[in-house]
Amino acid sequence: MDKFPNPIDYAVPAFVALILIEMIIAKYRAPRRYEPKDTLTSLAFGFGSSIAGLLVGGMAYSIAMAGYEYRIMTVPPLWWVFILCFVLDDFAYYVFHRAAHQVRWFWASHVNHHSSQHYNLSTALRQTWTGFFSISFIFRLPLVLIGFHPAMVLFVGAINLIYQFWIHTEVIGRMPRWFEAVMNTPSHHRVHHGVNPRYLDCNYAGVFIIWDRMFGTFTREEEAEPVRYGIVKQLGGFNLLWSVFHEWIGIFTDLWRAPWRAKLNYLIKPPGWSHDGSRDTSQMIKARWEALHPTQEPK
Amino acid sequence: MVAQLIQVGASLIAILALAWFAKWLGLGGDARITDTDHAKRIAFDTLYGFQAVDAAIDRAGYSALVKDGANRHALIFKLGAHFVARMVYPPIEGRLDQKFLTIDLNEADIAPVTLNLGEDAQYWAAGLRHIPNG
Repeated sequence: MDKFPNPIDYAVPAFVALILIEMIIAKYRAPRRYEPKDTLTSLAFGFGSSIAGLLVGGMAYSIAMAGYEYRIMTVPPLWWVFILCFVLDDFAYYVFHRAAHQVRWFWASHVNHHSSQHYNLSTALRQTWTGFFSISFIFRLPLVLIGFHPAMVLFVGAINLIYQFWIHTEVIGRMPRWFEAVMNTPSHHRVHHGVNPRYLDCNYAGVFIIWDRMFGTFTREEEAEPVRYGIVKQLGGFNLLWSVFHEWIGIFTDLWRAPWRAKLNYLIKPPGWSHDGSRDTSQMIKARWEALHPTQEPK
Repeated sequence: MVAQLIQVGASLIAILALAWFAKWLGLGGDARITDTDHAKRIAFDTLYGFQAVDAAIDRAGYSALVKDGANRHALIFKLGAHFVARMVYPPIEGRLDQKFLTIDLNEADIAPVTLNLGEDAQYWAAGLRHIPNG
């Protein structure tokens, strides 16, 4: 029970093969879907993230094992328990992901995944280097405290991450209706990566889109409005280290300059919040857009 | 430990090979700003409602300057296959050299942008001296 194989190790060759296939399709259909410098940056993010995982993953696991000592019950490793754990873990992912977009501290780490203006399979590998530092693992701790073994939680979390790879593409339009209703799909996730006002702050799902439908954060992709990707204030270059740390640098700069009464808010308020109102959060941008388009419901 | 090192090395080779393949396929395209309407549309989209009333396009189409009715200026520049826009706030670090106007936004990841604006360069350089704060 203490150790499962890491499914991501087995998935990486498939990731590489699928990226190659998508590049060849892009060559003939839409060469601008890829930009070599952007691709290199995204893949370097993935590489750095796996190195960070090797360095600090053990610490996160140790914290989870310590939490497991305080579990309210011991969940047996039965097949249906894995399914239950997978579903609950996906809900925990939804909560984490929503917080990662609404709380600047978590956003500083998660922004890495969104900072490309491209949306292709290499974007899926654009993973953070600072996830452990941002303590984002706390969102999975409730499962451990319920009694799911940390190894099981880690295993289903890896399956969740692998699922999310294939939805980072423009090659696939829409899946069958029943599938779009239940599962997260390329169409739903394109919307999540969108910076058009109508597409901001929605579709946080990992595997099951039902969480967004249940909690009112679902937005459908509109064919009339192609998705523009990236972040509200796009990066100005492909510098890897700046791309990794720019939001952390922004936080610490704001903390340094802000009056004492406002400092905490620069950590816990949404990205874009400022004590003097000089910047816009995505909620503000979306609210302005909704005020100008009252007949176009964003949902 | 050895297995992990091999894995790291293989990942590094795969990354470089994929990036090289993307370049070899000629992916990315050549993004250019085609006309003033295009520049205004980019500003409107990327700066969330910036209503440009005038625009000057770099002769190669790699960058542009736009301004709204309140004389607020924004700089648009190419980044790979896409464009990035930034509001230009004083104090502005700019340099005018005949037809060339260079603007430094003082952002860590953005190099100074030089626009070839032809005869319009002086007009836009003068306009930058009078932009409002914030």
